[in-house]
Amino acid sequence: MPGLPLAVRETTNVGCSCSHSRTADQMCRQQSRVHLSTEEQLAAEESLSVYCKPVELYNILQRRAIRNPSFLQRCLQYKIEAKHKRRIQITVSLSGSMNVEVQKQEVLPLHVLLGRPVADVTEHFAVYQLSRACAITTFNQYGKKDQTEANFIIPEIKKLASDARVRNLNIILISNGEPKGASGENHLSLDHEELTSFPNIEGNCLWGKIPIDSLCSSLERCVTLSLGHKAEMLSTVNMHPCSLEPKFLNQNNCMTFSSHNVDPMNSYQVQVSICAQEIGARERSPYDSYSYNDVPTSSLPHIIRLRTGNVLFNYRYYNNTLQKTEVTEDFSCPFCLVRCASFKGLRCHLTSSHDLFNFEFWVTEEYQAVNVSVRTDIWRSEVVHDGVDPRLQTFFYCSKFKRHIRSKNLVQNASHVHPHVLESQSPEAAQEGSHEDYLQKENGTCSSYRPIAYPTDAALLNDNGSYKEEKLQKASFSETHLMSARHKSESFGSENHYAAECIEPDSSSPDTIGVCAATAQASISNDFAQLGSGSNLVPPTVLQFAKTRKLSVERTDPRNRALLQKRQFFHSHRAQPMASEQVSSDRDSEDEVDDAIADFEDRRMLDDFVDVTKDEKQIMHMWNSFVRKQRVLADGHIPWACQAFSQLHAQVLVRSPALLWCWKLFMIKLWNHSLLDAQAMNNCNIILERFQNGSSDPKQS
Amino acid sequence: MLKYSSVSSLLSGWERGGEMAKTGQLGCEAAVGSLTPAKKKEYKVSNRLHEGKRPLYAISFNFIDARYYDVFATVGGNRVTVYRCLEQGLIAVLQAYVDEDSFVGHGDSVNEIRTQPLKPSLVVSASKDESVRLWNVHTGICILIFAGAGGHRNEVLSVDFHPSDIYRIASCGMDNTVKIWSMKEFWTYVEKSFTWTDLPSKFPTKYVQFPVFIASVHSNYVDCTRWLGDFVLSKSVDNEIVLWEPKTKEQSPGEGAVDILQKYPVPECDIWFIKFSCDFHYNAAAIGNREGKIYVWELQSSPPVLIARLAHAQCKSPIRQTALSFDGSTILSCCEDGSIWRWDVVQS
Repeated sequence: MPGLPLAVRETTNVGCSCSHSRTADQMCRQQSRVHLSTEEQLAAEESLSVYCKPVELYNILQRRAIRNPSFLQRCLQYKIEAKHKRRIQITVSLSGSMNVEVQKQEVLPLHVLLGRPVADVTEHFAVYQLSRACAITTFNQYGKKDQTEANFIIPEIKKLASDARVRNLNIILISNGEPKGASGENHLSLDHEELTSFPNIEGNCLWGKIPIDSLCSSLERCVTLSLGHKAEMLSTVNMHPCSLEPKFLNQNNCMTFSSHNVDPMNSYQVQVSICAQEIGARERSPYDSYSYNDVPTSSLPHIIRLRTGNVLFNYRYYNNTLQKTEVTEDFSCPFCLVRCASFKGLRCHLTSSHDLFNFEFWVTEEYQAVNVSVRTDIWRSEVVHDGVDPRLQTFFYCSKFKRHIRSKNLVQNASHVHPHVLESQSPEAAQEGSHEDYLQKENGTCSSYRPIAYPTDAALLNDNGSYKEEKLQKASFSETHLMSARHKSESFGSENHYAAECIEPDSSSPDTIGVCAATAQASISNDFAQLGSGSNLVPPTVLQFAKTRKLSVERTDPRNRALLQKRQFFHSHRAQPMASEQVSSDRDSEDEVDDAIADFEDRRMLDDFVDVTKDEKQIMHMWNSFVRKQRVLADGHIPWACQAFSQLHAQVLVRSPALLWCWKLFMIKLWNHSLLDAQAMNNCNIILERFQNGSSDPKQS
Repeated sequence: MLKYSSVSSLLSGWERGGEMAKTGQLGCEAAVGSLTPAKKKEYKVSNRLHEGKRPLYAISFNFIDARYYDVFATVGGNRVTVYRCLEQGLIAVLQAYVDEDSFVGHGDSVNEIRTQPLKPSLVVSASKDESVRLWNVHTGICILIFAGAGGHRNEVLSVDFHPSDIYRIASCGMDNTVKIWSMKEFWTYVEKSFTWTDLPSKFPTKYVQFPVFIASVHSNYVDCTRWLGDFVLSKSVDNEIVLWEPKTKEQSPGEGAVDILQKYPVPECDIWFIKFSCDFHYNAAAIGNREGKIYVWELQSSPPVLIARLAHAQCKSPIRQTALSFDGSTILSCCEDGSIWRWDVVQS
C-alpha cells in the first residue's frame, strides 16, 4: 500500500462510518482521534493484519508483472504518457479587417507551413525543409471554421527555449501572388480536399516567414499559458516575391526560395493573427503545477486532496471503526502501483484485479476517495466445522461465474448511489481526450511527462518492491512475539512517526531490514548462511520476501492455527504422532542424513575390501565422511575440499606418515584426472608442511 | 554310444549338482520327513467357536508370562481378542480390542509381531511398508527401523528374535528372501530407549540398512520364519517347511552360504500367508493347510517325524495359523471363515 499517508489533517471528526451524509472531514478522519485502551489497540492491530495476506498476494502478482506487464496496462501506460505530454497548439489565421489594403485575391489561398532552413540563408536564396502544410482559403471574418486557420503543434516553451533545433523553426507563408492563374509558367495547383497532404507549389510566388523564435519570446512573457489560457498576438509579415522550386535531393520536402529574377515591387504586408494554447494543460488544475516541495506543510493535505489524480484510500479495519488513510497519485492503484488514467479506470481496475477487497468509491468536487475493506466471504477454503473430519473434506472450487456476478452487483450498487459521479467521469470524454491527443501529428521530439519532484514519492517509486515489503511487515505486527523489540516500538508508533520514517532515507531503509532477515535466516540453515553471506548476488529483497512469507505462514489467522492443532500429524519415517509443538516448529530432521549411521555403514562397506591396506581404508573413510558432511558434489568443489581436508585432518595425517602418504597419493590421483590443479595441491602441501614444522617446534605455528 | 541309463544317471547327477550348489557345496542332502503319521500323539477336537464372518489371520499362545500359559489371542481385521483355554475344552473370552483404521507406527499393515523373550519390552514388527521395526513397548519408542538400501524389497511377512543372541533377528517377506539382521552396533540406542523420558516421537530412531545375511532359500513369497537355535525354519508356497543353517562369513557380511538341513512336507499348502507355530521348547511344529488339515511335525528328530495329521469333516476352510500350547498339548487353529478350532491331546 504505497502512497502518502495523510497524517497532518487536524480537523477530523469521529463519526459513525455508516452515516449517509458523509462530510469531507469524515472521509479523512484519522484513527489518532479515537482513544483506545491497550487491549483494544492490540485487537485493532490484530484486525489490521487481515490485510497482510491479500496485500502479500497482490505484491507477488505485481512482482511478476514488473517484467511482463499485461497488454492492457502497457497500452494504458502509453496513453497516459501521451495525455500528459505538453505541447503548444498554434493557430494561424488571416483577419480580413486587418488586411484591408491587400487584395483578397492576391493573398488567398495562403499556404502556411512549418519550415526549417536547410542551407545558409542568404538575401536572395534560401532552402527550407518544410512540413505540415495548411491552406487558408478565406479570411477569418466569415465565421467559417474550415480552411480559415492553420493549426500546428509545437513543443512546449521550455523545450523551445532549450532546443536549438526547434528554435530554428519558421512559420512560412506562401501565396501564389497571381490569383488568376493565367500565366503559363505558374504551376501552382492545390488540392483543396486534401489539405493535409503536401501542396504542390512551384513557380513564382510571394512568401513570408514568422520565426518561432520571436514567437517564443513573446510567449514566454505570457505566464498564464501553462494554466491553459490562450495567448493571442498579431504579427505583420512581409511577403516577398520569389521563384519556388521543390528540391528532393537528399531530404524530403525541401523547397528553394530564390529571389534573383523576380520583381521586388510586388511585395506587400499581411497581418496574421497567431493564437497559442497549451494542450494537455486543460485537464489539469492549477495545483498540479506545483511540486510538494514548494508548499508549506500545513496546506499539504489540502493540496493533496485537490490535485486531480490523487485518490484517498481509507483502509477499514477493527469492525470498520478504524481506518488508515493514504493517498496515491495519478490514479494509481495502491496494491500494484498501476496508473489507471482516471477514477473510472481505477475503479474498473480495483474491482477486477483486487477482488479480495471490498471497495466503496466516493467522489466529491474536492477529491476522490476509495474505502477499502477486506472481504471475508471468500475465505472459506480452509474452514472446517466442528465434527467434520478434515480428511474427508474435499477442496471446493469457487466458480468464476459466481464471483463475476458479485463484483457486478458491487458496481451496480455504487452507481446507483452516485449517478452524478459517473457522468462527470464519463468514459467517452476521457477516451475522446486521449484519442485526440494521439491523432495529433507532431514532429516535436520532446516528451514533457513531468517528473514527480517531492522526496516522499521519489522514495516510493525508487524502491517500490522493498518498500512495500517493509510496510507489509509493519502491518503484520500483531505477532509481537516474533518481532524484535526494535520492530515492536516502530509498530506502535503513531502514523506521523511512520510518515516521517518513510521519508528518512537511511535509518530504516529496506536494505537494513533485508540484512536482518538474512541473518535471521542464516541461523536457521547453514546452506542459507553460505548463500547469504558468501555471495552478494542475492538481493536482500529476496531474502526479505522469504522472511515475510514465512512470517505470514506462522502468523496465519486463528482458524488455520486451530486447524493445525486439530489435525493429527505423523512423522514421515517413524509414523508416530507428532506433538503440536513439533507441528508448529519448522524443524523436521527425519530426512537428514544420519552422519553416525552413514559413517558406520561406510566403514563396514570399506571393510569388505580385501586388497586395500588399513591406512588406505582409513583415508577412504575420512574422505568419504568429509565429502558427505561438506556436500562436496561437483568437480569444481574438489580443490576447496582438498585444502579444507588437509587443514581439518592435518594433525592426524602428520602423526602417521603412512596416512599422509595415502593422502598425497590420492591427491596425485585427483590431479591425474584433472580434478585438482597444481596450485591447490601445492596449497595442501604447504598446509601440511606447516603442521609438520609446527609439531616439531610448536612456537613457530 | 550313449545308453538311456547313462542319460538318466547324468540327469540325476545334474539335478543333484544343482541341489548341491543351492546348499552351498556342503555335500549332504536334506532329510525329508515321511508323511506317514507316527501316531506318537493323538489329538481330538474339543471345541470350536466362531468369532465372526471375517477371516482370522493370526493366533498365538502367551509364552511370556508364566502365570498365563493358557491365554491366547487371535487377530482378524482390526480386532484383537484375548481368550483363555479352560478345562474340558472350554474357551473363555477375556478381552477384545478394536483399533481405529489408521496406521500409527508403521506406514501400512502389520503382518507379524514378536516379543523378545529375554527382554519382553522389546517387540519387533513386520509390515507391509517393507520395514521391520523394533519397539520398546514400555516407553512407546520406535528404536530401530530395519529398512533401506539392504532392506526388504516387498512386504515383510514374518519376523523372529533369535532365542539366545539378543542382537539378532530374522525376517522374510514377499521379496522371496530371508534376511538376518544384527543390531549389535545399534544396541546403545536400544538401551537408551529404556531411559528415555522425553516424547517418544523425539527419540533418534535409527535406520539399520544392511542385514548381515541374505538367504535365497525359496523362490516364492516366504511367509513364515522361526529360529531353531542357530538354524532357521522358513516356509514358502512349496508345500514344505525348510530347516537350514545360515553360514555367515566373518569378513563379508551380507554374503554367505545356506545349508539346507531338513524338510517338513505339508501337502496342499501352496497358498501364501499360512504360518506355522511351535511349542515353547520347539519340540513340535504345527501347520494348517489349504483344506483345513493340520500337520504336527517333530522338529528336532532327523529325519523329521510327523507326529499327527489332524482333520475334521467340518473344517474345510484354509487354516491361516496354528498355535501350539506351552507343552504342545493343545493345538489351536484359526481359519479363513473366522472359526477357531481347539484340539486337545488324548491322554493314552
